[in-house]
Amino acid sequence: MWEWSEDYTPEELMVVCGAREIKDGDVLIVGSGMPLIAASLAKRTHAPGCTMLLESGVVDAQPRRSPQNVADCCLTPGAASVHSFFEMMATHLQSGHIDIGFLAGSQVDKYGNINSTCIGDYYRPELRLPGSGGASPIGCLARRVLIMMRQAKHRFVSRVDYITTPGYLDGPGARERAGLPPNTGPVAVISTMGLFRFDSETKEMYLESHHPHTTVAEVIENTDWELKVSPAVKPTPLPSEEEIRLIRQELDPQGMLRRVLR
Amino acid sequence: MNKLMNMDEAITRFVHSGDMVYLGGYGCRCVSSASHEIIRQGLRGLTLVRCSLSDETDWLIGAGCVSRLLTSIVSLGVGMGLGAAFRRAMEQGIPNKVEMEDYTNLSLPMMLMAGSLGIPCIPVKEMWGSDLLKFTSFLGKDKFKIISCPFTSQSLMMVPAINPDVAIIHVQQADAEGNAQVWGMEGDCELGAKASGKVIVTAERIISREAIGRDPNRTIMPGFRVDAVVEEPWGSHPLAVTGFYDIDQEFRLMYREASETIEGFEGFMNEWVYDVRDRPGYVAHYQEKYGIERLEGLKAAPYFSPSVNYGY
Repeated sequence: MWEWSEDYTPEELMVVCGAREIKDGDVLIVGSGMPLIAASLAKRTHAPGCTMLLESGVVDAQPRRSPQNVADCCLTPGAASVHSFFEMMATHLQSGHIDIGFLAGSQVDKYGNINSTCIGDYYRPELRLPGSGGASPIGCLARRVLIMMRQAKHRFVSRVDYITTPGYLDGPGARERAGLPPNTGPVAVISTMGLFRFDSETKEMYLESHHPHTTVAEVIENTDWELKVSPAVKPTPLPSEEEIRLIRQELDPQGMLRRVLR
Repeated sequence: MNKLMNMDEAITRFVHSGDMVYLGGYGCRCVSSASHEIIRQGLRGLTLVRCSLSDETDWLIGAGCVSRLLTSIVSLGVGMGLGAAFRRAMEQGIPNKVEMEDYTNLSLPMMLMAGSLGIPCIPVKEMWGSDLLKFTSFLGKDKFKIISCPFTSQSLMMVPAINPDVAIIHVQQADAEGNAQVWGMEGDCELGAKASGKVIVTAERIISREAIGRDPNRTIMPGFRVDAVVEEPWGSHPLAVTGFYDIDQEFRLMYREASETIEGFEGFMNEWVYDVRDRPGYVAHYQEKYGIERLEGLKAAPYFSPSVNYGY
């Protein structure tokens, strides 16, 4: 059995939490940075049969350095297939072949709706954000969505300023009523402070575990609504020494993950 | 027909103020040098189209060439974030107000596909429940329509075809007629070119028609659909071209930092766009400033594909 590692950064623990959500055989669509490292970690440990897709059109990328972005040329040599947005988004995602989509954003709310479009009014934004990219269709059409975000009160809000990517909208049944496929939606939110899931009845986000370097009270303090907490709440299991070694030595040797998130 | 010309002539003849312009490239094969020429020619009121608009869009917006964006996302990428010129235009109307119609990396390629197919619209299975439906920009009620499927009676989300006036794509190689070949990530380049009225192909190298025929499966745009061909080595810099050169992240970070202020943006534009005549002038300035070694250091390492037998 592996030894547990006390020496980890919050971002490394997020990556490990992301990897733990992946089952062997899953087909994943990931972005660069944490999701790519999480998927690579799962593939190197408990899920060797998972397949990683990048929205830039790459299947089973074998990068030999930390990619700068999903369109980094280092993702091409060695891949199983390289094509286009159309192939990835339409022929693999829209047709229902993606198990897991990893997403991030600037705001998330208690129903797992994500905003990556604007802060403030859409027409006169205080802060204009990049926009959907592939996030919205991934959030609409992947069977399970994992959200990775830094925890802060202005990021975990009761209602996002703009729904770029629909989560459970305003509660149970809302996705289906809006026209989205059944049995899709966010299953977990992984933040710098904790791991959250969605209540099967109310579809509201609740705290399942707090990372060992934080407390439940701290997570609540950094959430802008009355956060529900699992009665069985516990500290998030630590990463293993092997997981940390793989991340630092093999999956992200340039420390891109540590730099990007600072 | 020989369509070879220089960048100045290609932009003068085929891109006009007020046009809807498809800009090829995504991380690699970006139309950087063509964008610089558009800026030098002072074109105004352009509508830019593509998924994942990036560096070139920030330059064009900051230089005042752009009125509208028809896109899915505008970002310089991980670790770089939002373009400063894009934010100034969207938030403060500097140098002019820019309207953005928000779509996604699914709907936009589908709209280009509809354009390339000569059909008026196409269904997509997304955007339901999102605020992409609640807020529209310059397309107004024509951003999408919901209809009943004639076969299943289910609600269908229809998005309109896009037919840009002109597409500019940067490719690894083309011949003088415009047969254009790419490898590596495609973005939505092929659909964008096939949906557009006119097509400008800029290429890292010009090869013979015979050489095109050695690997015809790699041609994404046949010459009969192309209007202009420009030989433009380093045409994507500071973005990459698979098999030719890597991304110049240091240069991009320099722009990112400079563009934080209007003065910094203008200084960058003067040095790298207005004060150089063309791409060879830009490359010469780069070599003079940073040395030939830095440019050489960006060149791609060999990772060749084994050849395939097209014989019969």
